[in-house]
Amino acid sequence: MLDLDALLNCFSATSCLVTQTSTGIIIGMLLFLVASGVTLIFGVLHVVNFAHGAFYMIGAYTAWSAYNATGSYYLAVLAGALSAAVIGIVFERLAISRVYKENLLMQLLVCYAFVLVADDAVKMIWGAEYLAMGIPAEFRVPPYRFAGGVVPPFYVFLVATSLAVAIACLLLIRYSRFGKIVRAAAQNASMVSVLGIRVPVYFAALFGLGCALAGMAGALAAPVRSMTPGMGLSILIDSFIVTVIGGMGSIPGALLAAILLGVTRSFGSLGFPLFVDGVMFIMMVAILVFRPQGLLGERAPR
Amino acid sequence: MTRFHPFVRAALLAFAAFCGFLLVGAISPGTWLLDTLTGLFAAGLLVMSLHLLIGYTGLISFGHAAYYAGGGYIFGMVLQTPAFVAACGPWSVPLATLLAFCGTGLFALVVGSICARLSEIYFAFLTLAFQMLFVSIIQGLVYYTGGDQGLMGGIPRPAFLGLDLVQARDRYAFSAFLFVAGVLAVRLITLSSFGASLRMVRDNERRAAFLGVNTYLVKVLAFTAAGSIASLGGVVLAVFTSAAYPEWASWSVSGEAIFMIMLGGLHSFWGPLVGVVAMRIINDLTLLYTTHTEMAKGLAILFVVLVLKRGILDWLADWRKARHAASSAKEQDHAAP
Amino acid sequence: MTVSYRTGLSRRTFLSAAGALGAATIGAPSILRAQGSTIRVGVPTILSGRVAILGETASIGAKMAVDAVNDAGGIDGRMIELVIRDTKGKPDEAARITRELISADGCQIILDAEASGGAFAVHEVVRDTGTYCVHSISETSSLTADPANAAHWIFRSGRQGIHDAIAGGLYASELAKEGVKRWATCSPDYAYGRDTTAEFMEFLTIFAPDVKLVGETWPKSFQPDYTENITNLLNLAPEALYTCLWGGDLVAFFDQASLYGLFDQFQTVAVNMGDAPVLEAIKNLPAGIHSGNRYHKDIPDSEANENWNEAFRKSGKLPTNWGWQAYTGACFVIEALRAAGGDIDRDKLAEATRGRTIDSPLGVSGTVTMRESDNTLVDYALGYGKTISEEPYLTDFQPMAWDVIVEHETEWKKRKGFI
Repeated sequence: MLDLDALLNCFSATSCLVTQTSTGIIIGMLLFLVASGVTLIFGVLHVVNFAHGAFYMIGAYTAWSAYNATGSYYLAVLAGALSAAVIGIVFERLAISRVYKENLLMQLLVCYAFVLVADDAVKMIWGAEYLAMGIPAEFRVPPYRFAGGVVPPFYVFLVATSLAVAIACLLLIRYSRFGKIVRAAAQNASMVSVLGIRVPVYFAALFGLGCALAGMAGALAAPVRSMTPGMGLSILIDSFIVTVIGGMGSIPGALLAAILLGVTRSFGSLGFPLFVDGVMFIMMVAILVFRPQGLLGERAPR
Repeated sequence: MTRFHPFVRAALLAFAAFCGFLLVGAISPGTWLLDTLTGLFAAGLLVMSLHLLIGYTGLISFGHAAYYAGGGYIFGMVLQTPAFVAACGPWSVPLATLLAFCGTGLFALVVGSICARLSEIYFAFLTLAFQMLFVSIIQGLVYYTGGDQGLMGGIPRPAFLGLDLVQARDRYAFSAFLFVAGVLAVRLITLSSFGASLRMVRDNERRAAFLGVNTYLVKVLAFTAAGSIASLGGVVLAVFTSAAYPEWASWSVSGEAIFMIMLGGLHSFWGPLVGVVAMRIINDLTLLYTTHTEMAKGLAILFVVLVLKRGILDWLADWRKARHAASSAKEQDHAAP
Repeated sequence: MTVSYRTGLSRRTFLSAAGALGAATIGAPSILRAQGSTIRVGVPTILSGRVAILGETASIGAKMAVDAVNDAGGIDGRMIELVIRDTKGKPDEAARITRELISADGCQIILDAEASGGAFAVHEVVRDTGTYCVHSISETSSLTADPANAAHWIFRSGRQGIHDAIAGGLYASELAKEGVKRWATCSPDYAYGRDTTAEFMEFLTIFAPDVKLVGETWPKSFQPDYTENITNLLNLAPEALYTCLWGGDLVAFFDQASLYGLFDQFQTVAVNMGDAPVLEAIKNLPAGIHSGNRYHKDIPDSEANENWNEAFRKSGKLPTNWGWQAYTGACFVIEALRAAGGDIDRDKLAEATRGRTIDSPLGVSGTVTMRESDNTLVDYALGYGKTISEEPYLTDFQPMAWDVIVEHETEWKKRKGFI
């Protein structure tokens, strides 16, 4: 059950350290890509998007179809992100926008309903069986090795992409005109609309952006994960843990928390394989009890 | 009926309902109605106890299924201990039920006293985190709980008071008893002065505190009571399946319970039970035409939330109020020519 | 979704789900249907999620056997109707649905097509209700081998993990003789994965005592990401890997592990690799993976098997191990019904099933037997081979002799205290 020897052995071997640390970062960055959407939407719109996993699924399935049609992985990722964004915007306009002012329960229910509908819709369109995309030809190469550790080029690409997306999002929200308007509107929508700015359009766009991040994560991971209707659920739980630990609404916090969890997973699977999940939840409990605003969160708890 | 104290009235009503259930059990020809009702009893206990938190205290718990599953696991694990069954003989099942009730209550007390410090979304997430933690503990302690597999090997259920829980009718009667007892408990709580404190905390926590109510304690007690009543639902399920599974504590169970409350009506006592039955009807009607029950449930939720904007009973109540107002307005028109 | 319940209202839907069977029942002359009421056989199985293919191909297999009987006029004029239900692969759903099949849908016979998690749940229910039952999918040995689980009216018509473990242990000990000594395992974390892996290692060490287990890793079933397990294996640096992951999980594991070049570093025994849909789903199947035969069109290499394979493919799906197992289960139900003269009394059916030998295209020599001593199937085609990257995907097949398997199985049972 506990295998601390394995853990200690690993710390004394560079090859193991390199492999496990890089694994932690890889797991973490994929987590981050999904969680960043959750935290972005919460940070600005104060909506907990429980339907986020569904957009991850939509992205993955669209990417599968696009890859089979075009043969290009990059086009497939683009298609996955776009489809999630479009469906996200429609969902925001038709449903979410009507419950911005309602309490948490109503938001939860609308999202829950969307997940049910999306899962069944995917089942109708793509079937209930698992689908596999396979590794794109350009990444079917032997892994990089350094200091005895092993890192696959495909994952290097994923990590780099996620990092670029993280920085782009942060810049967009903090410094762009779009980001400033959206943040102002979230604080005081009527004031912003008096200035002649169509607030609903900005909210929809931001929601769409969050969903696009989820869709992109699904599409990026599609080559290595077999797809099924309902695949969004486990990723949703993980991204909530990341969001809560990092601080709801904080993108740098989500990045930190995601890497923390990734490293816990990769080393935990050596030292305490049966309780990796348990440790993650304990971390979440501890954060909520002692620091509810999260590691890097700014808002005080209400 | 107004002659009786509300408590007595509730108890009499419960007794009548129990007799009614027994009558149904006695005259029902096959076992399918009994099995269907047993399933509804389990779900009913889950939602009624959660109603105590969401509807009456305003605490949105995402992790209520943990106590539901907790009851099933304690009940099953206690009865799977040969020494316990040998020592308690015919009293094994009632004692195991009591242990499940108290044990889960204790568990809820611990979790509740940690969670009640937080409010709103943070409370919701913390209850969710504890639920997930509970699931991963069940899955981790493979040796005791069977892990992913659930409690295997059947749950011994020695006969007691002439009830043999292996028989469908006896199992049904036992489940009906637990269900009626659980719902009665929720009813009594809501009628009591403690229930009034709950509503006060829900409506305005600051004001309640100002009036000298220890709101923290009130919330913890409500959480504990709700957890232990939910455990009875788990006991019903464990008796029904002769096992216990980690899926019972999954967050989709918690989510669906919240939905059933909203569907039936958040602001009336019987709303959640209406929700349980309505959910079942939606499910079965859909199955007549297609296997895509999730799609149907999802669309039903969107309809309730976006169009009705409240549950079935709440909507009915509003509708009747509106009609009443309209007719009395008309009368006034006539009265004042 | 556990707190939702279905009633008997739903049974009409499943006439259509029963597909060809429904058509056959409707198409049959009405006089035939009037002669005797139909015999309803409940089939709890997995029709959604990552392993939906299990239920889909198992249903096809069961329907093949039932259709043949119904087309020939049924059993003494009574038609057999399969009532197939989706349990979503969740044990609690399996338990609930099996109860409903019995109480609401009037099924007196259960043909269980559940994976191990659900099969134990179904098992508890049919033990509780005393319903005649044939498990067709679960391979966990203890389901039938452990007397604590036994009931004289419950049978298994599929592979048993211990048989594969003995065959696999013997096969792998040949690898050990070539110097492959350090082994690691990576199997799903539930009863089937744990039992089957332990049994395989037990026999490997019996046949090749100098083999060493250097480590194990246990992914959860339906885990989306195996990276941590894969790097764990890299660190262990074994000379061979054993895995009993299956279906979509095996596909995902292989895709992810290929990124790390895992299969260039050591030999791999993936007992569940040999199913046609898995082999075709894995893009760039690595050559030289050792696998059990599961279902293979050339094993046994007989005309009957070839015909069966073709008949199955008419459904539009590729045949799987689950397909033949459910088919065999349905055959036993049918033969038992015939022998009992259409009587659905539990004990008569059980009596007629125990020890019965039936003709089967999947038998090593054209027949399979429901062994009397422990109600489990023997004499089915069994052995190991190596994968190649194109049709027929499996070569160098080495069949295993049943007398050898039974001899070691008996010793294993004694060690376990089962006999």
